[in-house]
Amino acid sequence: MSQRPVADDTARDAWLVALNPTAKVASVLVLGLASIVFPSPILGALIVVALFALAAAMGYFRPFAKLMIGFGIPVTLMLLLIQGCYSPQNVTVIADLGFARLGLEGTLYALSTVVTLLTFLGGFYLMNRTTYTGELVADLTERGLPPKAGYLVLASLNVVPQMKRRMATIQEAQVARGLDMGGDIISRVRATVPLLGPVVMSSLADAEERSMMLETHGFHLNERAHTSYVVVRHATADKPLVIASAVVLVLSVAARIASVAGVLPL
Amino acid sequence: MDSIIKVDDFSFRYRDAKRCAVRHLDFEVPEGGFLCVVGPNGSGKSTLCNALVGLVPHHFNGKGRGSVRVLGQKVADQTIAQISCNVGFVFQNPFNQLSYTAGTVAEELAYGLGNHGVPRDEMVRRIEQIAGPLHLEGLLDRNPLELSGGQIQRVALGSTLIMNPRVLVLDECTTQLDPLGSEEIFDIVKKLNEDGMTVVMVDHDMERVARCADHVLALSRGNQVAFGTPEEVFGDPALEEHGVDIPDYVRISRTLEDEGLASGPVTLTEGACAERVGKALGR
Repeated sequence: MSQRPVADDTARDAWLVALNPTAKVASVLVLGLASIVFPSPILGALIVVALFALAAAMGYFRPFAKLMIGFGIPVTLMLLLIQGCYSPQNVTVIADLGFARLGLEGTLYALSTVVTLLTFLGGFYLMNRTTYTGELVADLTERGLPPKAGYLVLASLNVVPQMKRRMATIQEAQVARGLDMGGDIISRVRATVPLLGPVVMSSLADAEERSMMLETHGFHLNERAHTSYVVVRHATADKPLVIASAVVLVLSVAARIASVAGVLPL
Repeated sequence: MDSIIKVDDFSFRYRDAKRCAVRHLDFEVPEGGFLCVVGPNGSGKSTLCNALVGLVPHHFNGKGRGSVRVLGQKVADQTIAQISCNVGFVFQNPFNQLSYTAGTVAEELAYGLGNHGVPRDEMVRRIEQIAGPLHLEGLLDRNPLELSGGQIQRVALGSTLIMNPRVLVLDECTTQLDPLGSEEIFDIVKKLNEDGMTVVMVDHDMERVARCADHVLALSRGNQVAFGTPEEVFGDPALEEHGVDIPDYVRISRTLEDEGLASGPVTLTEGACAERVGKALGR
């Protein structure tokens, strides 16, 4: 679960943090959808460049670039190899690699897929850095999401650290009894396997007690009246952001229609 | 004083279990009372706690007879959520007390209030009210998952108390804490009881039970073997035969009596015991 961003009005990302979380999610989704609806490598690349610029302006350039490059390079190479060399759509050969020929159509398809993935990845990264999950769920609940569904989202995110902590506890207990957790990666994986049973079983037992705790805290009580301590932020920029997102989506649909009709090249 | 808890010939057997977890329990707790439930493992203490908050029979299926009434209402006739408006429950494992939805302690404290539809302003007021006595003021903005066991147990207690229950049920809530953390929780509970809250607490620290409880219920293999004031319960020589531990001070005074060095009712506190020993030694 993302930590609640510190309310620091002087921070470089303050304006992004101050935006309504649902508006941010909607914008990221629309941006990603638009790149799927109108899969142009050039437009996609422009969006990715814009995301890089935004990350730099927010002060997140290094971690953002690390994530995008770390994900982008291997995926690009893999897709270029598969789609560029072996796509059945390939007609125009742009390079002869010796073992295979690189086709223009497959390469463009691979690039547009990569930029779509990077758009989603970059968009969600920026959203996650500037959005408190609890606030997002509180906002969605206010907008009609059942509180139980909201609970599932938040609890799922928080159960991972809990399981990691339990794993560490059980691991320490096993090491104290002589289990060797050192050595090469295969030895470590082999030593980890016997820990999975106790971790899963104890997590199930915990889930039972936790469900009782929820019941004794009124979990099943009158869902309609549910309230939240978390203050959901609303900014004046929310509406323009949502409108701009809608415009981008409409334009991408129009561009797609135009390209199918032959008016605009895809 | 009127009884706030009335358990009337209550028995319960979990589904697929061969024997009853509790049998013919029959006792009453007055409003503002402090009942400690003692007994060895498997004696039915947790089943009784679960019955007081409605988890038995609503969460755990099984066959029951007799009745458990809290504030005059039969627990079996209400939902757990309805009971939670009046009865707070603190479990043994502090880590399982967290809702796992909160990024801060303040949100964790307010979780139950959100389920009850309490407006945010009221949440803020109650958090401020509860944070002081539980020493949580400096922790309100911290992530609950990063706290120590003792701190989490205080948060868990706070998230229960914030709903203003009239009855607080604690099921061995200090067993996973170090002695200091345990005493801290107990002191808070004792203070709440002095302020009028009815407390039902399962505890294995017999000296503490003898010192603080005004009623003790001793269970063994699901049976009620004793109920009464600490003097009455721990004064029963047959108690240990049922596997129920007794305070060391009681044991000392009994030994003195057996040796013919002292006589009188059993001693329950350090001071009384020291006085008895002093007299026996002729000082």
